[in-house]
Amino acid sequence: MDFTLSKEQRDIVRAARKFALGEFPDRALEFDREETFDLDLWRKACELGFVGVFIAPSYGGAGMGFLEHCLINEEFWAVDPGIGQAILSTTFGSELIGLFGSEDQKKMILPQLVSGQAIMGTAITEPDAGSDVTSATTTAAKEGNKWVINGNKMFATNGNIANYILVFCQTDPKNPTRHERYSFILVQTNTPGYTSKKITGKMGIRASDTAEIVLRNVRVPLANLVGKEGEGFHELMAFFNRTRLHICGQAVGLARAALEESIRHTKDRHQFGAPLASFQVTQFKIAEMATWVRAARNLYYEAAWLVDQGKIDHALISMAKWFSAEIAVRCVDEAVQIYGGYGYIDEFKVNRLYRAAKVLEIYEGTKEMEKIIISRTLLR
Amino acid sequence: MDIVVCIRQVPEVTDAELEINKEGTEILKEDLVMDINEWDNYAVEEAVRIKEAHGGKVTVVTLGNEDSEDVLRTSLAMGADEAILINEEGFELSDAAAIAQGLYRAVRDLSFDLLLTGVQCSDDGWAQVGVILAEFLGLPYASLVVGIEINEGTMIVRRELESNTEEKLQIPIPAVLTIQTGINSPRYVSIMGIQKVRKIEIRGTDSEELGLSEEEIGLKGSSVASQKLSLPPVGEGAEILEGSLDEICEKTAQIVRDKGVI
Amino acid sequence: MDEIMVLAEHRGGELRDITFEMLTMANKLGKENDIAVTAFFLGHEASDLSERLKGACDTILLMEDPELANYNADQYLMAMETVIKSRNPTLTLIGHTAMGMDLAPSMAARLSLPLATDCVEVNLAERRLDVLRQIYGGKINAHLTMKPSDQYLITLRPGSFDAEVEQGKSADAQTVPAPSWTDLRGRQFLGYLEAELEDVDIAAADILVSIGRGIGKPENIPLVQEFADSIGATLSCSRPVADEEWLPKSRQVGTSGKTVRPKIYIAFGISGAYQHQAGMKNADTIIAVNTDPRAPIFTIAHYGIVEDMLKVLPLLTEKFAK
Repeated sequence: MDFTLSKEQRDIVRAARKFALGEFPDRALEFDREETFDLDLWRKACELGFVGVFIAPSYGGAGMGFLEHCLINEEFWAVDPGIGQAILSTTFGSELIGLFGSEDQKKMILPQLVSGQAIMGTAITEPDAGSDVTSATTTAAKEGNKWVINGNKMFATNGNIANYILVFCQTDPKNPTRHERYSFILVQTNTPGYTSKKITGKMGIRASDTAEIVLRNVRVPLANLVGKEGEGFHELMAFFNRTRLHICGQAVGLARAALEESIRHTKDRHQFGAPLASFQVTQFKIAEMATWVRAARNLYYEAAWLVDQGKIDHALISMAKWFSAEIAVRCVDEAVQIYGGYGYIDEFKVNRLYRAAKVLEIYEGTKEMEKIIISRTLLR
Repeated sequence: MDIVVCIRQVPEVTDAELEINKEGTEILKEDLVMDINEWDNYAVEEAVRIKEAHGGKVTVVTLGNEDSEDVLRTSLAMGADEAILINEEGFELSDAAAIAQGLYRAVRDLSFDLLLTGVQCSDDGWAQVGVILAEFLGLPYASLVVGIEINEGTMIVRRELESNTEEKLQIPIPAVLTIQTGINSPRYVSIMGIQKVRKIEIRGTDSEELGLSEEEIGLKGSSVASQKLSLPPVGEGAEILEGSLDEICEKTAQIVRDKGVI
Repeated sequence: MDEIMVLAEHRGGELRDITFEMLTMANKLGKENDIAVTAFFLGHEASDLSERLKGACDTILLMEDPELANYNADQYLMAMETVIKSRNPTLTLIGHTAMGMDLAPSMAARLSLPLATDCVEVNLAERRLDVLRQIYGGKINAHLTMKPSDQYLITLRPGSFDAEVEQGKSADAQTVPAPSWTDLRGRQFLGYLEAELEDVDIAAADILVSIGRGIGKPENIPLVQEFADSIGATLSCSRPVADEEWLPKSRQVGTSGKTVRPKIYIAFGISGAYQHQAGMKNADTIIAVNTDPRAPIFTIAHYGIVEDMLKVLPLLTEKFAK
């Protein structure tokens, strides 16, 4: 067994870290406070090839694996989660196009995502359909040579800035099997009837765009169906088996940053005449955080590596996702505790990490959903 | 313009708390992040820029151990074309002259128009290697270079002197230049650059192949008989202000006011 | 021959301080070891200038030639080679300056002399040399013992000793002929470039508030400016801040920037590499703020605060707002 990264993977980690350290810290507080982002940072990251490394070379990507995408996520998130998400979420949905899209769809969209000419997003959640995706009610009906889409979507990443949104729609509402009612349809956001509203007041990752989307008689060509009609639910599960991996990378990056900040602070800060690091209560916290980070990282390395080998272990991916997200929340909770009052102020990095962490346990499958998936494979 | 750049991997120490080994001969490096020496990074960037403007190729050379391959790979990803690793643990504790000797043996048979290296390394800080290399190679040179303008067979370089002053020199090509920080803004490494490295084979060599005996490298090959490291005494001279942050600031304000210049 | 030779450094008709600093050290070693101290002066029509070394050495050795009007490695190397081969000094001292860093290593290689650069202390006893250097950016002291040799070469860090012009000596002046310039490699001196016009003169300020790497990002500069304004101070910086172009080069304190001597110097987030120290250590009162208790700046500061500068600044500004 070999747990070490390849030389090339270590090169990627170093390159991603240097870019993030060079570009993110100066802007992080501003973006967080003002809920804005500067797309020039995204363009720079695209120019350097950090965006969509898993996309095949024939579509302009580096043709690397999801593990490499995770490694970049980890490094970006370790410096700033909001900016990391703003940059790397711009390909969110391309995984599905890569898996199920037509050749034309791939040729049209994927190269634009890699080169920084277009942003994509995916709209699944609805006001009344969260974890229970099969209660989504946005419909796409065939009329002549068009799909006509109607419905509302919530919490759609990049909904206000994307050029393309993949919409999870009911295309066969009467099908007796709920899991066969859905399809993915690609919508260009300049299509009449597409409107979006920025969701403000997010707790964390405030540099990243989140939207409420309204679709009113949005007409798109029938060729905009991505994958097979009625297969949307199963395609969604396959999609999550890829995207949950990079959430692990995000979580481990965040947890690692919390650990690093804690180590720095406990060495610098003196109380009762001694550095915090000299107190056993602090030492134990640091030891636990380091253990959690290591365990979560090994779990996601294995899950991502297997996917890149063509072996999808649904339960393992779910384990990696909930565990890394939970330890991220736990690590940064300890980090803020160690920082005390300073950690409660947004000027300090641990504060931003703290507010960013929670979403990891919620998006792309709540930790409860992940546990359902795991237990099903164990108890069936 | 074919350019050779001599680089070195060093520990990042800016934010690190350093410890010294039991023998007192070296700092403990296990927990330190290793990276390309800051000055050398500017030298690699400068070489790649000159190549981009004038054509030719860039060869990076380092002297170290297996792990030093990382800095070669980084330089290749930045745009260098070839790399040589002198993989030789025996060079540990070498003084600058012994290190320069190792590099000299590795570069003397290469054909190049320019040899660049950083002014100094952030670890030992000898600031000698580039200039010694020039002497070994019998080439003209300039140190502390902050500007290079290439002309036909010659170049104009600016050297940084003290007190906001620079000097302007003309130097024939081929030559050796040691590069000062701030001469350019080194680029980030791109994924495309990293992928390019796949196709490049890093040439490995060692002291035996370079014809250097044990007597010529390491402490044996150096002018230094022994080196004893210690941590400088904490706050020698400074009275460290104690108390709560507020008390500290109050004391500071008092000190400033007492000087009577406000 | 038992002799300590100091290579005099001058530029634009002025002797550099490092020359006298080296002579101070050389005279100390000379006295301890009963060895004479010679200052070697290379120049053109500069015998008047060399005369100023009279009170600080036993012999002034003057070599004059049009080729030596300004420092050039090619000519200096040949000149040093000629003189060292004929006089065989026990110890040769050169400044660890832009000139010495350019000259000493190639000279050592050409003459096969053992060389230790950037020394802050030098001891010579029974012809054995040991030196103190600061490595890893001043975070570690290295005591080096050199292997026995008949001759040594060292470069001395500027500011390590006082620059005394009068050291109770009265030197004889001797001249040596310049060599015939046969082995030059074509390096040509074209001229000096002075720094661009400056916005403010930090050297004229009574109070300097100076920032280093610890500032983190340019967005934090207003925080410092506000504090500086509250006490009527001028803003200056260390090299990394100028390299990043967060403040203009004219605000840089240190060997490659300006030497300052304000009444109060407050260093925020400056580790205190010697190049910086050399530019400010003569300030009347130095207050240093740094998170690292081992930062070299604390060795020369009068008062130290081990804290994050960004935490200290707002509170400090408040103290003066009252």
